[in-house]
Amino acid sequence: MTAATAAGPLIAFDRVSRVYSMGRLDVPALDDVSLAIEPGEFVAIVGPSGSGKSTMMNILGCLDRPTHGSYRLAGTPVADLDDDGLAALRSRTIGFVFQSYNLLPRTTALDNVATPLLYQGVGRSERVRRARATLERLGLGDRTDHEPTELSGGQQQRVAVARALVTEPALILADEPTGNLDSHAGAEVIALLRELHEAGRTIVLITHDPEVARSADRQIHLLDGRIAA
Amino acid sequence: MSAFELLRLALSRLRTSRLRAALTMLGVIIGVASVVALVGVGQGTTSSITTRLAALGTNLLTISPTSQNSDGSTTLTLEDADAIAKLDSVAGVAPEVTTNLDVTAADKSTSTTVVGTTAAYASVRAYEVWQGSFLTDVSVDRGLRVAVLGASTAKTLGLDATDLGTQISIAGIPFQLIGILQPKGGSGFQDPDDQVIVPVGTVQKYFVGGDSVRTIGVSVAPSADMTATNAEITSLLRTRHELATATDSDFSIFDQTQLLDAASSISGTLTLLLGGIASISLVVGGIGIMNIMLVSVRERTREIGIRKAVGARGRDILAQFLVEALTLSLLGGLIGIAVGLGVSAVIGRLAGWGFVFNPATVLAAVLFSLAVGVVFGVWPARQAARLDPISALRYE
Repeated sequence: MTAATAAGPLIAFDRVSRVYSMGRLDVPALDDVSLAIEPGEFVAIVGPSGSGKSTMMNILGCLDRPTHGSYRLAGTPVADLDDDGLAALRSRTIGFVFQSYNLLPRTTALDNVATPLLYQGVGRSERVRRARATLERLGLGDRTDHEPTELSGGQQQRVAVARALVTEPALILADEPTGNLDSHAGAEVIALLRELHEAGRTIVLITHDPEVARSADRQIHLLDGRIAA
Repeated sequence: MSAFELLRLALSRLRTSRLRAALTMLGVIIGVASVVALVGVGQGTTSSITTRLAALGTNLLTISPTSQNSDGSTTLTLEDADAIAKLDSVAGVAPEVTTNLDVTAADKSTSTTVVGTTAAYASVRAYEVWQGSFLTDVSVDRGLRVAVLGASTAKTLGLDATDLGTQISIAGIPFQLIGILQPKGGSGFQDPDDQVIVPVGTVQKYFVGGDSVRTIGVSVAPSADMTATNAEITSLLRTRHELATATDSDFSIFDQTQLLDAASSISGTLTLLLGGIASISLVVGGIGIMNIMLVSVRERTREIGIRKAVGARGRDILAQFLVEALTLSLLGGLIGIAVGLGVSAVIGRLAGWGFVFNPATVLAAVLFSLAVGVVFGVWPARQAARLDPISALRYE
């Protein structure tokens, strides 16, 4: 597990800890976690609130760095990167799906989906073409000009999935993607993720809901910052 | 991200909050407009003053007596004028005797300045004849009762080209009208076109008496130096008036170019002052932009977090907010320039100096408003760029 290379696991945690300093007290949100996720896997990280899921998600998503231990994403040691390096790695490798959709307000679905490509330096017409194609693939071809407020929760989350997908990332990181949706819309999003998994994508789903977690092929249970089972 | 992408992003953002954008720009609009308008007014004043002064003759020295004898006569005489005319550096000399009299033609009458002078007056004072002819050496030497009218006077009396050769009366004495001058234009303290010009001897004979003159106008030869000629005339007149070295001169010589220089320097300073005061409002406008941008960064914390999560680097966010501030300030600047030019055109029209367009002012205004955008946009943009994506995403 320590010898992760580009050909090896997509995600390699080697004894990763993340410690928050609360005044004089050091609180370990993640404590000595090691794991590996291979390309093409559909993994759920499950745990109750306070188990370290969010911290896990931040570190997995290169939004944060481990305090101790090493994290390699697609063979790249994250610790060596500065903020711009992290941004570039995120842009190339990860697509995020958030619980609260996090679409840009007052921005059409098309422009929302095209935004990650903007930061990759893709030209306008190519951006529009790819964003439109991705939206159509997710059955939102007739919603391209709608702004988030004009879409239902399920539709918003599908736009968010399209945004995560548009850069063809190695990893899709979904943080409680069904948390704000009714059971029907939630099931649709999970079905969508499964579909993407079957098309060969690596998906990491972070959830507190054992029901949702069961849709993944592998579950990693977190408890008090450690892997439970 | 290319500048074009950034501009598109900024414009689409400003479109979504038009009222706020307009109000934010208003500060810069007012600032730039007042700078452009006030500088325009300043430059209009300068150019109108210099044109008016130049119309009086730029190579003109005016000699006036500083003391008066008890009978009202002065120490300057026609002989003085003749002596000055003999100097090499002098192109023309026009002694003037002026008095205010009633002038009547047919049924119309007006009170105006009657100038007794010589044939050189036209060239010394830079007048052109519009109709007929000017005084000649012959008519002056013989002291004929002939008169040349200024354009305004001719208009007041209802005279034009067809009336040449007819009689007009000056203080009841008949004169033959021989010419009408071209208008010099320009209004001001004294209309240069409201006068009647007659031979100097005639004025002295009929109206004033004595042989002293009010002033002597000297036009300096183009090749000669104004200051040197001034000194030359001073020493000549002091000799002629038999003044001891210690006593003050009984005349003074006024140099038109000095007035011109002084006037342009004063109005130049005034322009600078007006522009300086106006640019304070531009700075205030810039602070308005900074204020709104800071609020905007706070409001859009979540957007910044999203953008960072999907791959924006700090510098992308910095550029986005900076370009937004720049767009506001530049757009405000351009609108301000248009408003300012409009205002200065209206003022120029009302004041009669026309529209003064100075590309340098416009360029300076554009650059200044860009600078305002950069100076007041950088700080909020840096705040935005530095936001931590995790807390930004969680921000409600």
